[in-house]
Amino acid sequence: MPAPASSHIGIANLPNQRHRIVSRKGANLTVMVVGESGLGKTTFINTLFTTLLREYKKPEHRFQKQLERTVQIDVVRAEIEEKGFNVRLTVIDTPGFGDYVNNQDCWVPVVEFIDEQHHNFMMHESRAQRQEKDDLRVHVCLYFIQPTGHTLKPLDIEVMKQLGSRVNLIPIVAKADTLTPGDLAIFKDRVRDCLSTHNITVYSPSVQSDDEENTRRNQSILSAMPFSVIASEQDVVVNGEKVRGRQYLWGVAEVENESHCDFKKLRNLLIRTHMHDLIASTEENHYENFRITKLTAEGRSDDDPAMRARKGLETKMKEEEEALRKRFTEQVRMEENRFRQWEQRLIAERDRLNKDLETQHKYVKALEEELDELVAQRRK
Amino acid sequence: MPPPTSRSVEAIARTAVLATTIRRKNIKKGLTFTVMIVGASGLGKSTFVNTLCESPVFPKKDYSNPEKAAIERTVAITPVTVDMEEDGIKLSLTIVDTPGFGDNINNEGNFLDILAYIERQYDDILAEESRIKRNPKFQDNRVHALLYFITPTGHSLREIDIEFMRRLGRRVNVIPVIAKADSMRPQELAAFKKKVMEDIAYYKIPIYNFPYDEEEDDDETIEENNELRALLPFSIVGSEEEVVLNGRRVRCRQYPWGVVEVDNSRHCDFSKLRYMLLSSHLQDLKEITHDFLYEQYRTEKLSREGDVDPDELADEEARTEAQYAKRQMEIAAAEAARGSMDQ
Repeated sequence: MPAPASSHIGIANLPNQRHRIVSRKGANLTVMVVGESGLGKTTFINTLFTTLLREYKKPEHRFQKQLERTVQIDVVRAEIEEKGFNVRLTVIDTPGFGDYVNNQDCWVPVVEFIDEQHHNFMMHESRAQRQEKDDLRVHVCLYFIQPTGHTLKPLDIEVMKQLGSRVNLIPIVAKADTLTPGDLAIFKDRVRDCLSTHNITVYSPSVQSDDEENTRRNQSILSAMPFSVIASEQDVVVNGEKVRGRQYLWGVAEVENESHCDFKKLRNLLIRTHMHDLIASTEENHYENFRITKLTAEGRSDDDPAMRARKGLETKMKEEEEALRKRFTEQVRMEENRFRQWEQRLIAERDRLNKDLETQHKYVKALEEELDELVAQRRK
Repeated sequence: MPPPTSRSVEAIARTAVLATTIRRKNIKKGLTFTVMIVGASGLGKSTFVNTLCESPVFPKKDYSNPEKAAIERTVAITPVTVDMEEDGIKLSLTIVDTPGFGDNINNEGNFLDILAYIERQYDDILAEESRIKRNPKFQDNRVHALLYFITPTGHSLREIDIEFMRRLGRRVNVIPVIAKADSMRPQELAAFKKKVMEDIAYYKIPIYNFPYDEEEDDDETIEENNELRALLPFSIVGSEEEVVLNGRRVRCRQYPWGVVEVDNSRHCDFSKLRYMLLSSHLQDLKEITHDFLYEQYRTEKLSREGDVDPDELADEEARTEAQYAKRQMEIAAAEAARGSMDQ
């Protein structure tokens, strides 16, 4: 019978060691928020980390921005510390997304950004000399859904399809204090139906854990997706206690009250229990997927960007040469045509003049003969 | 002053009887009024209409098929007529719903769809007016007021709000309302209202802002109009559910943290909007539509075309109808094609 594993070797201590290593190194967490303007993304980020990370847009500036109709990528960095654990946090905002009359392709800058980070990391890795580089690979993408109470919109479906295959996607029902509890439950059901019908991959962490309580907690977290969120930066006094909430005339909607919204569950997921999983799955699964697709698409010899670039330039030069040659021949032909036509015109002109000359000549001759006759007659 | 003769007294009595008869006839015939409701899906438009008419005019839409969620569609203009009674006066209220507005990824075609409908009603009147023999029972389907539902972002107007109201404000009385106003705290609501009105002024968007004449109208009317103007845009909460609160039946929305009452003017402007729309300013909205907006359209249209032949107008009507029907068919065909592709 094999000896119990935990008796002498110290394997049981491995999880603790890992914990110690991670807490000393700290973590790099990159969170992206995507959604229409006015869904509470900025407030949510500020509430999540209980610090004013993002400032609100200045309303005075809105008249200049309206005309540009672009989707921007804003990167905000912060360092957060709690009980000796450091988190280098990066928040990526996407202002302009879904805000215009025509939102066709508004997801393209977002998707390109995500791919670009994987690409940059891949390039960086294959260099001979690797220094510490900014790794902006997105570990989790929070997609804010408008609380219509109906179902997902065509834009939501299209964007989440694109995002879900590239990044850990977590859908959120924004401004959940707009929906009554019954309506909210129905809405969540419909959203879940939509996600599964359209094969949208959302983040689903491993539920099983050694600890019974953890497993139960993970299950309850998962079953709450999409997470309903209420966010606030203000504290309100409720029953003598100070809580984060929104004060209405008819009551206070509390951020951390689990019967009001899923904010606490989401925060636990992001920071307490699954942050490491989010980071690891991005670096392992999503990055690997990206690498595989990229490499099979291009073939191995074209890995070197420099050679690829040179080949590209060569082909371009050949094409340009060909085009120039063609143009040259074309122009020469045109000029020859012109000359030929001119020549023909000159010949025609010459013939005509010759003919005229001849006619005149004949006329003169006729006159001379007449004159001779007259002279001859007079002599008689 | 000479004493009233028996003949003049008779004349006065006859006029009085005539006036009462006319009023009684109006009350019996009832008023007609057409309101159009525009806004993105999910802003509570159907609930608002049902709350306004106190009956389920628009049934709950069926969202149980998730495949349909990805399908993009055009605006489906749907008029529904409801018979109501306001202050003892019968009112035949026509509500024109516009489902599909603002729901697609690209919404550029939406404005034309709605504008075309409104202008078509004007065309109908124009054609009817120019006929030699007019139909006395002709139905006036012109839209007298358009309620535009603004998403309660808390920031400012979105591009689609600005573009739509700007284009349609020239043809119809646009009344902006803030949908789902119970998602905003009192300070947020006040700030949002202010920003929206600033946007409306900045982009020169024509809206119905309770106009009055300084000289002609009495002080009470002026004050009332100023009050209503200051409330713009109206904040709205709608609900079809009733709950008994403090012994009264109250229409409300029940949250875990409190109850929002629809008819409570401290919670939202619903009751004021209802009174304004269906009682106090109904006539004014109709008059402005007829005397100003319709006239403006008429002038523009006639100066474009020169002489108007009523038969030609009817032909043009038929042509536009045919074009519209063709476009609907094309869209249906495209949808069917996409449906078969998905399968």
